[in-house]
Amino acid sequence: MGDVATAEAGPLVEHLFRHQAGRMVAHLARLAGPANLDLAEESVQEAMLRALQTWPYQGVPGNAAAWLFRVAHNAAIDVLRRRQMLGEKTEAIVAELTRWAALRADDPDIDEQLRDDELRLMFMCCHPEMGRDASVALSLKTVGGFSVREIARAFLAEEATVAQRLARAKRQIRLGRLTLEMPRGRELRRRLDSVLEVLYFLFNEGYAAHEGEELIRRDLCMEALRLGRLVAASSIAEPRVHALVALMALGAARLGARVDAAGDLVLLDDQDRSRWDGRLTALGFHHFDRSMAGDEVSEYHVHAAIAATHARSAAERATDWPLILQLYDQLLALNASPVVELNRAVAVAKVYGAGPALASIEALENDPKLRDYYLRLAVRGHLLLEVGKREEAAACFRAAMGCACSEPERRFLKKRLEGCEG
Amino acid sequence: MSQFMLLVYGDPANWQTLSPEEMQKATEKYLAWTKKSFTVDAKRLEGDAGRVMRAVRGGKPRVVDGPYSETKEVLGGYYTIDAADYEEAVRLALDHPTLEYGGTIEVRKVWGT
Repeated sequence: MGDVATAEAGPLVEHLFRHQAGRMVAHLARLAGPANLDLAEESVQEAMLRALQTWPYQGVPGNAAAWLFRVAHNAAIDVLRRRQMLGEKTEAIVAELTRWAALRADDPDIDEQLRDDELRLMFMCCHPEMGRDASVALSLKTVGGFSVREIARAFLAEEATVAQRLARAKRQIRLGRLTLEMPRGRELRRRLDSVLEVLYFLFNEGYAAHEGEELIRRDLCMEALRLGRLVAASSIAEPRVHALVALMALGAARLGARVDAAGDLVLLDDQDRSRWDGRLTALGFHHFDRSMAGDEVSEYHVHAAIAATHARSAAERATDWPLILQLYDQLLALNASPVVELNRAVAVAKVYGAGPALASIEALENDPKLRDYYLRLAVRGHLLLEVGKREEAAACFRAAMGCACSEPERRFLKKRLEGCEG
Repeated sequence: MSQFMLLVYGDPANWQTLSPEEMQKATEKYLAWTKKSFTVDAKRLEGDAGRVMRAVRGGKPRVVDGPYSETKEVLGGYYTIDAADYEEAVRLALDHPTLEYGGTIEVRKVWGT
């Protein structure tokens, strides 16, 4: 078999390239400076390309991550030399790159440094001047190792739009002279908040049901969780970081169970609990416990508590709805949002019945944001059906189908509508 | 059993826009192919344009730098595989990942095998 026989058996670690890409971009961006983010990305792309061109024929190296790390550093050196950006500063960067390329990548100190680099880059991506869309795109592109096409697919956006957003963000890094220095004191607290907001947004976007692209959306959730854990493992973790990680892990545990074999939505109540991911549930409870340290009760805490109550229902075969209702009341006190009120109605129905639940969301009809929100109409239709008002329920589901929603959601509404007539 | 050569042509630009995740998937697919039981040999060629030698009537052969043709596709690698006949060789080659990435495969039987 000649050279072919040296090809190593065993598959590559899942998402190895994507995760290594994120780390290496973060690391190279620190060495070369954030204004050279393009250089970092280009070098990492080059390393992946080299792997694709050599590994199938010469076998996968024993330490694949270290191989990529070294090749990416050398590629960065080549690019710098090619650009002929001479001068003391460039020479210093090349020297630093050379030093790192020669280090043993399995050194635990290196691992710690790389985690730190990822964290710094993420905090820079979430700089308050950046704007959320830019923060989201830039975090995914750099620390996340997603491509423009993947980001566009995940957000149902045009590739050109995402590319523009990234270009603007990078310009802002250069013009605003953003650095990878961690902010301190109050500034750090504020920045942490915006990092958590971006992660929560990523997670929710991934969690929302959309036709087709199930895989990329799942990846989005898992990436938000991964980055959340990265923050949680660092010295700047506060209890609310653990709360966010807990709610993401507990939610991610249910990802596989919320669509059936036909790709149709399955409501939480009807989900097969045995399909919830036990490993992620355990991870969620671990962080939920850690979120209890201190007196702070953030919205993440309450969301995590709601997710934990649902997760416990798997073992107890019953959901503690009075507790969930109490938690929604707490959430309303923290953030009087109509969407929270809508979700609370489901708990009200479980505890006091559909009548009081209907009354609790009556006022939402006049809310301009919720008037034509499919979920409000779907919840209302569901409650009307429970109190036996079939025709009114059918009208609700029909109206909901006319609102903006995804294909699986529309199929779900159609089924409910048929249920009213049958 | 005969031997066949698969000459794999592709446009290197096709790889530039792949994401890390897609590169990993591609690497795994190519790797799986070099490990197939019918694969006797698998080699990749350097990405440079190479040299071309051309006989000049009545003179010394002329050596020039590549590329050899005007097309963007370059010969990127070759495989030697075992197959009963052309049909089987083609059937096996149809499964090669390069076709997913916009490449071309030329299947040639090795003389006398």
